[in-house]
Amino acid sequence: MATASLQQQPPSLTFPRPIFAAVSPHPFLQAHLSANKKIPVRANGRSAYEFRRSGINTGSLTHANGSAVVRLGNTSVVCGVRAEILMEEDVPGTNDFPPPRTDGEDEEDDTQEIDTLRLIVPNIELSTGSTPSHIPGNAPSTFQQSLITRIRSLLLSTRLLRAADLRILYKPSSNPEDPDEEPETIVKAYWVLYIDVFFISIDGSEFDAAFLSILAALRDTRLPYAYFDEEYEGILCSDAPSEAKRLRLRGLPIPSTFAVFEGKSEDAGEQDFEWVLSDPDAFEEGVCRESVCVVVDGSRGDVVVRRIEKSGGGVVGREHLRGVVGMAGKRWSEVEKALSGSG
Amino acid sequence: MVVPEVTITHLNRADGSATYTHNGYSIIGAVNGPIEVLRRDEMPEEATIEVNVRPAVGVGSPKERHLETLLHNTLRSIILTRTIPRTLVQITLQIKSLPEEESSTGINTSLTILPHLLHTAFLALLSASIPLLTTLTSTLIALPSTSTPLLSPTANELLRAKPIKSMHVFAFSGDGRLLLNESDGAFSFEEWEEACDMAEQVCCKEVDEGGVRLGGGDMEVDGVENSQNLERWLRGVGRSKVEWEQRWKSGT
Repeated sequence: MATASLQQQPPSLTFPRPIFAAVSPHPFLQAHLSANKKIPVRANGRSAYEFRRSGINTGSLTHANGSAVVRLGNTSVVCGVRAEILMEEDVPGTNDFPPPRTDGEDEEDDTQEIDTLRLIVPNIELSTGSTPSHIPGNAPSTFQQSLITRIRSLLLSTRLLRAADLRILYKPSSNPEDPDEEPETIVKAYWVLYIDVFFISIDGSEFDAAFLSILAALRDTRLPYAYFDEEYEGILCSDAPSEAKRLRLRGLPIPSTFAVFEGKSEDAGEQDFEWVLSDPDAFEEGVCRESVCVVVDGSRGDVVVRRIEKSGGGVVGREHLRGVVGMAGKRWSEVEKALSGSG
Repeated sequence: MVVPEVTITHLNRADGSATYTHNGYSIIGAVNGPIEVLRRDEMPEEATIEVNVRPAVGVGSPKERHLETLLHNTLRSIILTRTIPRTLVQITLQIKSLPEEESSTGINTSLTILPHLLHTAFLALLSASIPLLTTLTSTLIALPSTSTPLLSPTANELLRAKPIKSMHVFAFSGDGRLLLNESDGAFSFEEWEEACDMAEQVCCKEVDEGGVRLGGGDMEVDGVENSQNLERWLRGVGRSKVEWEQRWKSGT
């Protein structure tokens, strides 16, 4: 009898929402965006230009020199900075870097020193189950390697860290060559910063979240006072917290990611249309091909662009990009507030 | 700016190939496709694209993976992947040589090589007769802090123009859309626009709109005389190849 009653009722032709999203993600998002012509609303309830609020917590890890936990919606990431000492005599080969400037360190060209000695070592780890595409136990995927390259090159090109903060200097009590002359200050060792980024879950905009967590962790980092002990002939660190120093970062570059959603028109004659979605989540990244990432820094008054990365399609041209840079500038002040509120 | 030198379809085992030499960079590109795809990578409605970048020295590092991702995203937007579904297009790019001053310029080396990789990949795709939506031209612009902007600078020019304020890589499609942009350094949006204009002129502007002239009289490539922009140069490379292949047909 049960089978008979099932046959009488024709199967329903409407899908529940999650099934529609899973079966045909592209029309699903397009239906959402084109439902309201004036203010397009995305499937996740945000408007097209709305960013997710960033939640930042610093100093959560006890054994790291600096740490931060950052959440952007369902993307959550932990970053820990651990400083270790690299002895000058262990550096292979001879390097001659431009000598430290005494007048102003702000303009000092120290990127080469940080780059060749690898004083910043960022690493990314994805936790098991953080994203469906990540298979645990394998070698780092292309996604991870690409992300790490972007983070490393951005850290270097924005000249965020000062080599002067990382050098451990030593001034001998007497000049060994000529006792009458003032002894020269020499670099005995360097601090190497191991920056580990651990993704607990990924729901889009992973570059933003990772870089934000690195910024927050670096702002939180305190290096103990280290000095060369003549009798011990090695580097010793002071255990007094009052002598520890914070890193003096140059500027505050903040990335914003955008995805471009290209709608497909049902009739061939109709004009194609597209939406620029800010801070996309994983579902939106799955249906969008083109993405734009803009890094801006407004800490010196005017908004300066530090990086633009755009690939995957030809929708975003000059006019779109102008708007995108403007939005990234607005977001900069919001994130800056969240960052200073956390520390 | 010197016109790049290109040899097309010189590898007889690959479906398509191209060797590209410009400003001291030399890259061999090979394309195989459409071929059978691994079950895991198969997509029901479109072709899978695989890009391999092999460095001049040593094995691939995360930097190469990043370049591969960029190339993959860009090429996916110009290959008509929906016309050859459930297949694989495999693009291998072997960097043969780099300019000597490459490492001492202190500039992100993935930016300086990107236009060359894009051109090589495109020419190899063309040689393999993979269905394409449009053409692709790309160039590098450097904005030094003291002198005038440099168009497609050599490593030596970059070394002399130090310090460089910002570097920009642009790629344009045949219909003038901006396909890829990688900019690095510190710059305002106006400076970016200036660089973008300059790149657009050299990549795809017509002559009567004031396109930049490339190459001198002595820089002839495969019989192409004074190509006015990269778009023309690209078409010239294709035309001379076709003319060469059809020399018997047109000669008799």
